[in-house]
Amino acid sequence: MSRREYKLLFAGSMGAGKTTAIACVSEIPPVSTDVANTDMAGYAKATTTTALDYGEVTLASGDKLRLYGTPGQSRFDFMWKILGGGALGAVILVDNSRPDPLADLEDYLRSFSEIVRRNRAVVGIGRTETHPDPGLDAYHALLDRMQIQAPLLSVDVRRRDDVLLLLDVLFHQIETHASDDASDGFPESIA
Amino acid sequence: MNPHTPPAVADTLGRTESAVCQKMLDALAESLPEMLGAVVSTADGFEIAAKLSQGLSPATLSAMTSSQLALAEAMSAETGLGRCINVVIEADRGKLVMVDIPGRGQKRLLTVLCADKATLGAVLWPVRRCAAQIGERLDASLD
Repeated sequence: MSRREYKLLFAGSMGAGKTTAIACVSEIPPVSTDVANTDMAGYAKATTTTALDYGEVTLASGDKLRLYGTPGQSRFDFMWKILGGGALGAVILVDNSRPDPLADLEDYLRSFSEIVRRNRAVVGIGRTETHPDPGLDAYHALLDRMQIQAPLLSVDVRRRDDVLLLLDVLFHQIETHASDDASDGFPESIA
Repeated sequence: MNPHTPPAVADTLGRTESAVCQKMLDALAESLPEMLGAVVSTADGFEIAAKLSQGLSPATLSAMTSSQLALAEAMSAETGLGRCINVVIEADRGKLVMVDIPGRGQKRLLTVLCADKATLGAVLWPVRRCAAQIGERLDASLD
């Protein structure tokens, strides 16, 4: 069987670590579109992505993952639609140090509902070591309330293993629900 | 900040800066009759000043310009072509020209929307000149 390429999306709020996660696992020098951030009230960091991030990872099977990072702010939602086209699945990152990370997650789950409702998303909660609240239980409760089945992990996206774990869990999730949409193939486990 | 809350224009964008840019956009419209609209934005896509007909959102155009120029910049770098000077979109019924505003302060962007009858060269020159003039005025305000 010929090797395949799969497109995956990284979504989530500004500062959640989408650019970092992609740079951390990409085998090619990642493409980033960081510019100076002027919205220090929204998030105090030097730069922010305004178009996309791009990186690539090859699986043990030879299949290639094309990773696309989205800009976090909703004023860039046109990029979400552009980048979301043809995506097999999505990693949604949450920054637990934000004022209301549960509301953030709910917003992104709704914005990416097409992919989320097809059980093709995994949620990564970051900065839980310094900001333990809300705990994973609160996130599970949110997913239950929204009737969404998505694996939930606490991750540090600066760690390559953590990002690969997110991708691995995402593929297991897609594989488990592959019968929902038999036309899509799915690659083997990354591990 | 909730991602669905419209982001407030950052405090660093003074009213003076908006006023300066607004005046320059008015002057550009005078010198470029084919101009249908123009926006000055921050590099991360916030509106600073706009001169647009009804129905066009300066906030959306600012965000889109930010994406376009950031992607063009990444592509120029990827291909070893150096700095991106401008992005031009030629469409069925008009043209969009997007340029960086040169200056010592924070990066700003200028987007100009023109009717189809305008030739590209006739648009590029006044747009670049306008960007340079805005940059000079903003630089002067830094001193």
